[in-house]
Amino acid sequence: MLKKIIGLATVAAATACFAFSAAAETFVFTAIPDQDETKLVERFGAVEEYLEEQLGVEVRYIPVKSYAAAVSAFRNNQVQLAWFGGLSGVQARRLVPGSEAIAQGVEDPDFQTFFIANHESGLERMAELTDELRGKTFTFGSKGSTSGRLMPEFYIREAFGEAPDEVFSRVGFSGNHTRTIRLVEAGTYDIGAVNYKVWESQVKENAVDTNKVQVIWETPYYADYQWTIRGDVDERFGDGFKERVTQALLNMDDPELLERFPRKGFIPASNEDYDAIEDTAESLGLVN
Amino acid sequence: MLRWPNVPMSHSRTARTSLMFVAVALACLAVSDIAITTSNPWKDLLQFFLGVVTPDFFSSEGLATALLRTVAFAFVGVTIGALSGFLLALVYRIRIVRTFCAFIRAIHELFWALIFLQFFGFHPLTGVLAIAIPYAGIFAKVYSEILDQVDPEPRNLLPVRTGVFSAFIYARIPDCWEQIRTYTSYRLECGLRSSAILGFVGLPTLGFYLESSFSQGFYSEAGAVLILFYVLIATIPLWVRPKLLPLYVIASPFFLGDGMPIIWGNVKRFFTEDIVPAPLRTGYGSEEFWPWITDLVVNQALPGIWNTLVLTQIALVATGLVTLLAFPLISRHFGNRVSRTGGHVLLVIARSTPEYILAYILLQLWGPSMLPAVVALALHNGGIIGHLIGRQTNGIRLRPDAPKGVLRYGYELIPRVYPSFLAFLFYRWEIIMRETAILGILGIYTLGFYVDSAIQNIQFDKAIILILITAMLNIGIDSLSRRIRSRLALQTMPTC
Amino acid sequence: MDAPLELTGLSGFYNGQRVLGPLSFTVNPGERIALVGSSGAGKSTLIRLIHDRVNDTAALVPQELGLVNALPVFHNVYMARLDQHSALYNLATLIRPFRKDRAEVTGILERLSMGEKLWKPSASLSGGQRQRVAIARALYREADLLLADEPVSALDGPMANLVMTLLQERFSTFVVALHDVELALDHTTRIIGIRNGKIALDAPSRDLTPADIRPLYD
Repeated sequence: MLKKIIGLATVAAATACFAFSAAAETFVFTAIPDQDETKLVERFGAVEEYLEEQLGVEVRYIPVKSYAAAVSAFRNNQVQLAWFGGLSGVQARRLVPGSEAIAQGVEDPDFQTFFIANHESGLERMAELTDELRGKTFTFGSKGSTSGRLMPEFYIREAFGEAPDEVFSRVGFSGNHTRTIRLVEAGTYDIGAVNYKVWESQVKENAVDTNKVQVIWETPYYADYQWTIRGDVDERFGDGFKERVTQALLNMDDPELLERFPRKGFIPASNEDYDAIEDTAESLGLVN
Repeated sequence: MLRWPNVPMSHSRTARTSLMFVAVALACLAVSDIAITTSNPWKDLLQFFLGVVTPDFFSSEGLATALLRTVAFAFVGVTIGALSGFLLALVYRIRIVRTFCAFIRAIHELFWALIFLQFFGFHPLTGVLAIAIPYAGIFAKVYSEILDQVDPEPRNLLPVRTGVFSAFIYARIPDCWEQIRTYTSYRLECGLRSSAILGFVGLPTLGFYLESSFSQGFYSEAGAVLILFYVLIATIPLWVRPKLLPLYVIASPFFLGDGMPIIWGNVKRFFTEDIVPAPLRTGYGSEEFWPWITDLVVNQALPGIWNTLVLTQIALVATGLVTLLAFPLISRHFGNRVSRTGGHVLLVIARSTPEYILAYILLQLWGPSMLPAVVALALHNGGIIGHLIGRQTNGIRLRPDAPKGVLRYGYELIPRVYPSFLAFLFYRWEIIMRETAILGILGIYTLGFYVDSAIQNIQFDKAIILILITAMLNIGIDSLSRRIRSRLALQTMPTC
Repeated sequence: MDAPLELTGLSGFYNGQRVLGPLSFTVNPGERIALVGSSGAGKSTLIRLIHDRVNDTAALVPQELGLVNALPVFHNVYMARLDQHSALYNLATLIRPFRKDRAEVTGILERLSMGEKLWKPSASLSGGQRQRVAIARALYREADLLLADEPVSALDGPMANLVMTLLQERFSTFVVALHDVELALDHTTRIIGIRNGKIALDAPSRDLTPADIRPLYD
């Protein structure tokens, strides 16, 4: 019995040590959980393979349960690269001096939030937010989402001069965009604010019943998703590593891979592209 | 509401207290947000049940790993908690130790996990400590109560120069060992529940998969996770054997997974920067601090406290109602063998599903309001107390000509079990409040909601203050409950 | 015990009321004293008070016996010498007793007809057996004064006599509370009668008959 225990413990200890030492050499990235997990794992599992091939180091994707967890992991140097939203990217870069936005989707400089409504709410497409919305129920996406929280809240406050929970009878946070669509479709909420890209791809996949839920309003354009990398990766993975990561992302042209984001391709990005987002977040007290 | 054949003083006092709590709950109900907001909740509920009866165990290869991790985190967490709790119990007489223990157990496992996630990240230590710390506080309290109940006489009879350690292992431990063992293995079951729900904040346990599959509407996968979890809990007597325990305890640390390496600078940063209130950190000082803290208290803490209290009071009385309805299901004074077996199954499911998971499921199905939380808390806690009370009634011998049915229930059993019913209920009051606060993470506007929001906004200074407020609220309710129990002369054993 | 034990001003209180004493007497080496009196007279209190005075130099058999129910008979007896060994030795003994100790404890138990109960948990024993375990513990204790409160109340006549004889052999000096007058007269050298918390009788046993003692019980 004792022998068995010791034997088992030794094997396990060896495995554990191996795992730890391996982790130290690995380039780790994460992404905000803005969509269904299955989709995220599919998408970033493929990116993991792609980057490993391009960079020649071990690359690992770790899934997280919240936007804040993605930011914290980046800040804590447990991940070195992340696919952030506009707001989470701003938060992360404020917390990690030297970190940089290096690439964004072709569509990201002109991103949008769609307000979608359940058919039974009686709401129709509108040019601007009107008092018809008052007293309805409303759901954001994640609390830390740009397209699901920051921008819709900003435009609601601008239109009504009041906080969302004063305009609507009930305000919720669905957690992610796919769930927002599902909740509005099910009638749990009358209205939801959703990432237009997620909406379009769900419609395209016939994953949403457009007889039950439709877009009623579109926000003006703003900058959103981007890849952000820590400033100290060159020290850790060798000179020019940041540049190589950037190039690898920009060169991503496998249509199947891009389709999973879904983006047409990636273009260069800079921290300044998100100054407007930062101002908006500051005005709503979402960053310190 | 309940009438007794003849009402002695003590009963009328318990009755008055009960009625007062019912009245408070009704008042809370009037100001609370109770609604089903989904347009078709029953369809979803049906789909969910269809999923549970058609479980899909092979959708994700990660499920077996998650099961292993759930067990490993529970074992390591509970072991460390039990050992440190035991040491703390030895010095529990010291006031500062008691206060410290009350404080660490007043903070829910999930809050601890959220705190550790900020600097340990996805390292196994996060999950282990999230369980070990609050459990140490609970173990310390219960162990010290158990140790205090040991007959002091053998100790007094020892030769005066007997060493403290020898005296302890001969005259204290043996007579309470059985109780310690029973309680510790009971806590292990609680530990498995805690471990499972840690998945909801990203640790690699069963909750992780439950959350993922549920939120995507994969009810068959969710059903599989739930069934695995019930089997795990229900088979504890089969696989947790005294002889195997050392093996589990030694082996489990190696099955926690590797996670991400800890970077100690993050720990220092968290304590020296992150949790320092922003105005002080940036050096603006007190003129900025007061508006900052006022804003936090007025706009987050107070609404959070209000909602937490309202929901707690409703859930407490609802738990009482569920208990009173549930205990006859397993009592030998009612029904037959078949109905009682069914009753047992129902109560096992109700009490082994963590309220967090129940609330999560109901929130998905019914939409956000206080209703899913009330139902979840009432079902889970009612299941636990109903089980204990039902078992207690099985020890009651009624006279052969005792009335049957409703009369037996109202005149024979209720008067006999009512004091212990109240004792359990008040004991769980604090636990219900701790859970109520945590359910805020799911989107109900209790304190947990504001804690979660602060963390989502990377404002740990605010999060910590809100967590401290939650802990104070718990400690307050705990001492109030203790005062009521001693006023009504109610005694109970600990439950989790 | 070499010197006389002078007990002065012994008083017992219950709920702030004096229930015993103040009383004084001397226990001389070699004296075997029986405390007699009706129940509630204060014998148990007196035994406790004496124990508090002499503390470690006496072996005590209280009325409640003070056994550790979960431990086997062996360990309950062994506990009388916990102070003679290191913590480690005691811990090892808890898991697996040493042969020397086992032999010695077995010897004592055999004389009490309890040899075969060595490894039985004391919780599983009858009242009389439990009483003999407590006596065995006192016999095993390294003390030369015995204080015992009704040590044979649950034993039958022959066994009670045997136990008293054993105690007499082992302890040259003892103070034992006994309600059995015959037993007291047979095994002691001095009788102290307690009534209403005061000494009502103090005389050598050989000068007394059961009739002299009876009034104490009226």
